[in-house]
Amino acid sequence: MSEGDAGRSLVLCVGNDLVADDAAGCHVYERLQDSVLPPGTRVELLGLGGLSVLDHLDGEENLVLVDAVSLGAPVGTVHVLAWDDLPCVYATPVSLHGIGLREAIEVGKRLTPEAMPHRVLLVGIEGRCFDLVGRPPTPEVAAAIGPAADEVIRCLRQLNGGDIPGARTSRPQAEQRTPSTGKAQGAP
Amino acid sequence: MTDANPTGPPVIAGQVSESAPPAAESRTKTAGPMVVEVTNAASRGSAKEPLAGRRTVTIDPVTRIEGHARVFLDLADDGSLISAGLVVNELRGFERILVGMEADRMPLITARICGVCPSAHHLAASKAIEAAAGVTPPPAAKLLRELLYMGHYIHSHSLSLFVLQGPDLILGLDADPAIRNVVGVVEAAPEVAKKALRLRTLGQKINEMVGGRGVHPVTSLAGGIAFRLDEEKKRILTDWVEEALALGPELIGVARDKLLQQVEAHPELLRDWVVPAWNMGTVNDGKASLYDGTLRVMDEVGTVRDEFQAADYDRHLVESVLDWSYMKPVHYRETGSGEERLYRVGALARINCVDSMGTPVADQLLAGFRRDFGRPAHQVVLHAYARIIELIYAVERAREILADPRIDGETRAEVRFTGGRGVAHVEAPRGTLIHDYRIDERGIITSANLIVATQQNYACINQSITQAAMSHVIGRADDGLLNAIEFAIRCYDPCLSCATHALGQMPLEVLVRQAGQPVRSVRREV
Repeated sequence: MSEGDAGRSLVLCVGNDLVADDAAGCHVYERLQDSVLPPGTRVELLGLGGLSVLDHLDGEENLVLVDAVSLGAPVGTVHVLAWDDLPCVYATPVSLHGIGLREAIEVGKRLTPEAMPHRVLLVGIEGRCFDLVGRPPTPEVAAAIGPAADEVIRCLRQLNGGDIPGARTSRPQAEQRTPSTGKAQGAP
Repeated sequence: MTDANPTGPPVIAGQVSESAPPAAESRTKTAGPMVVEVTNAASRGSAKEPLAGRRTVTIDPVTRIEGHARVFLDLADDGSLISAGLVVNELRGFERILVGMEADRMPLITARICGVCPSAHHLAASKAIEAAAGVTPPPAAKLLRELLYMGHYIHSHSLSLFVLQGPDLILGLDADPAIRNVVGVVEAAPEVAKKALRLRTLGQKINEMVGGRGVHPVTSLAGGIAFRLDEEKKRILTDWVEEALALGPELIGVARDKLLQQVEAHPELLRDWVVPAWNMGTVNDGKASLYDGTLRVMDEVGTVRDEFQAADYDRHLVESVLDWSYMKPVHYRETGSGEERLYRVGALARINCVDSMGTPVADQLLAGFRRDFGRPAHQVVLHAYARIIELIYAVERAREILADPRIDGETRAEVRFTGGRGVAHVEAPRGTLIHDYRIDERGIITSANLIVATQQNYACINQSITQAAMSHVIGRADDGLLNAIEFAIRCYDPCLSCATHALGQMPLEVLVRQAGQPVRSVRREV
């Protein structure tokens, strides 16, 4: 990576806007279009995760993935997970033939290290309904879109300032209980 | 249909749990990451024990295929196999949401069903609504669509061969499950992996440049395609195609050698994994054609029995409903006798049906294939070989299209909907894809039916599961061999996301099974 690339960030929003909560990444993408982002930030929308993620990487310093997740937390929870905290089998509900984002990044590190980001974060929106076409997101997920977009911007600012955001979860107001499973509650 | 169940505990590969047999709870939904579960229905036991006694083994869901699915094997007391099958749990209601939409949105909407075959749906929908409007797109539009589609094939077949089947082919069927994945492939054969993924990327780039967007193309529309190819884009596309052509021979050689090594190491793959089915694939004057042509049907001994237009599909293809799966299998109904035949679609079926591929290198490969395996070939493991032939065909065909002077012509024809029905098809990488719409005089969809590849292959897939279970699982102590069943399914490269859909307009058969056996069937003629 050249010096001029320092601070460049890519936000990749993943999702299928036809499928209920799987559309979360698409809605965050739309929200980010109207937001003021740190200089050097590129935001892209991806229909699916998987290996196609690699086609979008261009040696950015930072990668922030935005996607619906199913980690066992209350629906509407916004997770921020550092790369090392991603579940090893993390895959989007409609993944590209089971090739998850984590596997894709691992493939990229081995084959095209020059294109790979130095830091990777996932902003995940806990969803519930991933199989109904033509339905809007569940109310909890719809309510989490704004907070998730805010979380993306906060992450970008921290990354630009040289900090690595720690893992955290922002649970929906209505339900403040501890997630039963998943790494969302764990510190890095 | 209920929502997915994200709150269930994560299931770990090889974990043994007590639960009801899957056949009895076939509508239970599973969400989350790809996992393998071994369930002992009758007694607590270990997955390491030989699979004897009445019990049910489930592999849930099958890894490295799109959508969610579950396989069941129902064994008798003596350990013999009672029944086996793939249970598909997803119901996504896609066709129902199309009703009431403007017809000209179909190419955009259906392309977003899933990320595996978007270009196939994009083009099948474009052709179907043109059929309803009675419009033929200009030659340049057809060529550009086919070019887009060759990009999609290069991408899809590369992915299938090197990423999805790659772990089986390069690392071996009995490799440690912990490394038998795409990362393991990259570590074992980094140079091959790098070139294979480059080939996939080149296909995706071609698809994107002609289709206007990465995963979900947007340029094909009723009456043609939304742009004309300029010289700069043609030059870039030509460079990509030439690069793909340069990568082709080495990768094809590696894929073929690795496949043959696996076949040698596991002779039962060619000996026992044989499904003598009829074949259906698209031909144009007898040659391979993936974008357009007539549907040729060949019986299990190689006699061409029928050739028909997609518009007549509902006179030949019969959909039925199973009580234990959301997938609706399709059979071919023989003209005259009315008998229903098991048939396959996809790369192997197409390779069987065509007289020739029509491009030089692909025809050389086809000749070698037929010399070694005959015509028609029924070994499911040869789907991968057929994909190798089609992969090089797609690259060669892309070069031909770019050199065709007609590609520079007009790309749009005027379209006006006056009410009617439109049916059209393409050969999706996984097999024949048919779109069928009824459109009113305002251009609104009043009904929709999609016939997708995996439901046509479903009966063959279930036979292959049975064969894989017989040769690799029954009586064996090593649960790692359960991968053989997944391998058998992956041979078909199934995509399940769009294979479960609302009841269509075809004759329906409801098959009721008890203890794994059919006890009653009800047929509904539309």
